[in-house]
Amino acid sequence: MSNAEQILAALGGADNIVEIEPCITRLRAEVDDPSLVNEAGLKAAGAHGVVKAGTAVQVVVGPEADTIASDIEDLM
Amino acid sequence: MSLPVLAPVAGRGLPLARVPDPAFSAALVGPGAAIDPARDGLATAVSPVDGTVVKLYPHAYVVRTPAGAGVLVHLGIDTVQLAGDGFELLVSENATVVAGDPIVEWDPVLVEKGGRSSICPVVALDAVASELSSITEAGPIATGDVLFRWEHRPDG
Repeated sequence: MSNAEQILAALGGADNIVEIEPCITRLRAEVDDPSLVNEAGLKAAGAHGVVKAGTAVQVVVGPEADTIASDIEDLM
Repeated sequence: MSLPVLAPVAGRGLPLARVPDPAFSAALVGPGAAIDPARDGLATAVSPVDGTVVKLYPHAYVVRTPAGAGVLVHLGIDTVQLAGDGFELLVSENATVVAGDPIVEWDPVLVEKGGRSSICPVVALDAVASELSSITEAGPIATGDVLFRWEHRPDG
């Protein structure tokens, strides 16, 4: 599975994602149901860390965030 | 020889832990330092090292040295939400720069007027904390002063 596929799955899948956009080092996602977010899965996919605040989930992936975000958008 | 990482903006040095953003304060992106920028109207943010501007957003950029040391400069917190408003790019992505070259013109006061922090984290990407030394975490710092030194170990 690609990085983008792993991250998408760990965010609860395409159906759980309201919006996803890259900042310079992280993916900023708005999700429907934060309980579906699998932090361990995100870290296994290479995330340095995960910051959750309600339905906002930030996945710190490093400067390739823009590439990963566009790969995820292609999968959605 | 350690890599001097220069202050991209003028202001006061702060520990990275003081940045009001958990991804930076917990050093999830890497260790470094932060600068509380001077409020003197328009300011020019410069390159912290010699290298290539590998990532360039209006509010943030990464310059990577030929040896592969990547330094991230983030102008303010949550400034991605400004979508470039108030930031003027002075170079293009993939430009070759030397330390001190102008990268972005911006106004910390405008960022604060929008309700956001103007603090600028400067991060040594993929570094470990023990590789950094001489970190300026307090007191005034001028643009181009050494913010910290990085004992960068190229991969392989």
